[in-house]
Amino acid sequence: MKRMMISGNEAVAYAALHAGAKVISGYPGTPSSEVIGSLMKKPPFEGTHIEWSTNEKVAIEVAATCAWAGKRALCTMKMSGLNVAYDSMIGIAHSGVIGGLVVYVADDPGTTSGMCEQDSRGFALMSDMVMLEPGSVAETYDMVKYAFDLSEKIQEPVFVRSVTVVAQSHAVVDVEDRTMPDPSVPVVKKDVNKYAKAGAAMCMAQHQNCIDNLKKGAEIIEKDGLNKLHLGKKGGIGIISVSSVKPYVEEGLNIAESMGWKREDVSTLEAICTIPFPDNEIRKLLEHCGTIVVAEELEPYMERQVCILAFQTGAKVRVVGKLDGTLSRIGAYNALNVAKGVMAAANLPFDESIMTAGDDVAAKSLPRPITTCAGCPHRGTYLAINKAIRNAKLKKDEVIVTGDIGCTILGMNPPFNTVWMEISMGASIPCAHGFYFAGVDKPIFATIGDSTFIHNGMPGLVNAVQHNTNITVIIMDNGWTAMTGMQVNPNTASEFQREGDVNVDLVELVQHMGVKHFYVTDPYDLDGMTAVLDECLTIKGLKVVIARRECAIQAGRRKVKYAKMHVDENLCINCNVCINTTGCSALIPGEKNVHIDPNACNGCSLCSQVCPKKAIIKEEI
Amino acid sequence: MQKQYDIYIVGLGGQGVLTIGDLLAQAGLAKDIPVNFYPRKGMSQRGGFVQGQLRFGSSNVGASIPRKGADLVVSMERSEALKCAGYCKPGCDFLLYDDVWVTTDVIAKREKYPELDDVKAEIKTAGANLYCLSSEHLPVVNGVPARANMFILGALLSNTSLKELFTLDEIISALQNFMPKNLESNIAAVKAGYECALKAE
Ligand SMILES: Cc1ncc(C[n+]2csc(CCOP(=O)(O)OP(=O)(O)O)c2C)c(N)n1
Ligand code: SF4
Repeated sequence: MKRMMISGNEAVAYAALHAGAKVISGYPGTPSSEVIGSLMKKPPFEGTHIEWSTNEKVAIEVAATCAWAGKRALCTMKMSGLNVAYDSMIGIAHSGVIGGLVVYVADDPGTTSGMCEQDSRGFALMSDMVMLEPGSVAETYDMVKYAFDLSEKIQEPVFVRSVTVVAQSHAVVDVEDRTMPDPSVPVVKKDVNKYAKAGAAMCMAQHQNCIDNLKKGAEIIEKDGLNKLHLGKKGGIGIISVSSVKPYVEEGLNIAESMGWKREDVSTLEAICTIPFPDNEIRKLLEHCGTIVVAEELEPYMERQVCILAFQTGAKVRVVGKLDGTLSRIGAYNALNVAKGVMAAANLPFDESIMTAGDDVAAKSLPRPITTCAGCPHRGTYLAINKAIRNAKLKKDEVIVTGDIGCTILGMNPPFNTVWMEISMGASIPCAHGFYFAGVDKPIFATIGDSTFIHNGMPGLVNAVQHNTNITVIIMDNGWTAMTGMQVNPNTASEFQREGDVNVDLVELVQHMGVKHFYVTDPYDLDGMTAVLDECLTIKGLKVVIARRECAIQAGRRKVKYAKMHVDENLCINCNVCINTTGCSALIPGEKNVHIDPNACNGCSLCSQVCPKKAIIKEEI
Repeated sequence: MQKQYDIYIVGLGGQGVLTIGDLLAQAGLAKDIPVNFYPRKGMSQRGGFVQGQLRFGSSNVGASIPRKGADLVVSMERSEALKCAGYCKPGCDFLLYDDVWVTTDVIAKREKYPELDDVKAEIKTAGANLYCLSSEHLPVVNGVPARANMFILGALLSNTSLKELFTLDEIISALQNFMPKNLESNIAAVKAGYECALKAE
């Protein structure tokens, strides 16, 4: 055992190792990536297979069948990933498991990572799965271990749901040693009634079994005392909290006190999970309290259950939460949200202004639209698209450029303003396709990164191949899954694949998908790439362009040498075209001329290619 | 029992904001002070906003500091300091490192960069004791300018309420155990910061 300062995500990884996981699979996504990310930074764990799968659905299928073979498995993803995995997730839940299967999903209330704010507890509700919701780093470690045991006891997959502030927080945990996974050769029992779905009787039996197992889970959780109930003043206030809101309760009471609430012995229920609902504990609170505050982030799942149980038991209790309009369904909570609930329960005024204190001052800070890194190859793609649109005598707001998830979306921001929209992984190609068949008569581009293309872009491309859609698809191939922290994907060069893995080359892959008009180009070569796009705009039907150049950050890390650029002071007329066109942070404005920060420059040379005076010059390496 | 002590620290990607957080968290671990450190990197790699929240004193503490709740606020960039005003507990200490990072919009005169005096006024209105440092104060160690984050950490230890939590030696030993790279120059930078006697503005 070792006392360590680790993140919530690392706690998941250590707990899975301690629990003897045989397979750990997942797909990167903030705020969950560091579970597998931290494991991959270490030397291989003999006996445990760890992989970044091509997408979350693949990942859950890989992990589930490991559990069907009787071995323990962990699968990790961000909340959006569960949307992708869910088609299989519910099927796996209905079949049940043999070995422990833990599905770690991290929600992002407050959307620190810029995707739909969603509450994944809804998925647990739909598939009748236990979803444990640790509220701290240390509790995360304990709950992942517990989830493996529980999964085996109830023979069902178990979710562990975290949220950004827990997953990304660092705190002290007593980390135990790794347990070697069970080395025996698995015996997989053929059992179509359990593992197949083709038949109404088997499907309904599986559904019933799943519901029964959730009930068993609820009983075990109650027996183990994981839902902490404290009964305080009879007829007084009760607070139900779950997940990351739990540790805010005491602090929230202190704040309420400072706002004029008279302290009383408040009843509390700190629930370890919403699903299964802690019904018995809620009933006790309903019997005991006059008012119950339900403090949960995002959707009022727990609160609705409290209302249902109040109705069933005939309890005359006031419920304060989202349904009465007191608390918000949006954003991450802190102690102030708890205080607000307590003030409302006590019928005391709450000064709303504190929730947004300082927002007016913050609004005076300089806006910083996120842009691509110095040397980012995507910059060349945006510039080439913009130039090709100009060359075709079209306006930028006539040519739809659909975008996708990843650093590739940064082209929506200034100075490029190239990309119009994004929905979800892989949507860019079907979106362009849809606009075309809607009758849009101007050229349409779809832009997508390599990891996203492999994740869920391929079905959309095959669809476009089949229907010979008149669009230009640009796959921005930087060789990595960059935005989420440089994970390996199948298209990553062979030398960076993990031992035993092979590279799946995107150029070969796309070539063999039946694309007739296919180009490979270098986004660092602005004229070359623009010429390719110019040509694409003259051809009817589907065109696919792979813009291939390694992510500048990764190239920099492994010391790929590009000649740096410098400004010839005699030639520079200080027109700032370089800065205004590329927005590159290595270009520094000056009184008389622009200069280049040699520490920031990654040598992409795009600035020199847009300089009207050819004043930016490549240095010798 | 250790009193609750909350630190809110912001800056931009590349400034080493979160390294200050890491070091303080490690120093907490070494001293057995419970701590939760919540770093928010966002788009740090691309020069974006970075924020760290450190909450000392209880192992059962939520990650986020409530508005008007921070005992110590640090901003490593002038404009970003404006994002902290809402977190100042009246009477808290605020260290502003007056680094200036402009954007293309400022260069193209589409946006105005905030004036130092206006920023200072906002912070003071929020009720903080304001201390200012700028890159001019940065010492040169072995011919290279010291890391600003280490320098700021030193200045915090001697000038703000952080001194009630950690001593210079405790931070130096966290550096030794946790950040062996560039140890000598980092220690020199921390010490140089520590030597700065700042006056509340
Ligand atoms: C379903 C789903 N899974 C994961 C993510 C997280 N995610 C955001 S960006 C990204 C990486 C995209 O990589 P790539 O397409 O190669 O583009 P790059 O960032 O490298 O330019 C991922 C995995 C997500 N948003 N949605
Ligand atoms: S991380 Fe790589 S792909 Fe993303 S913006 Fe930076 S250079 Fe471009």
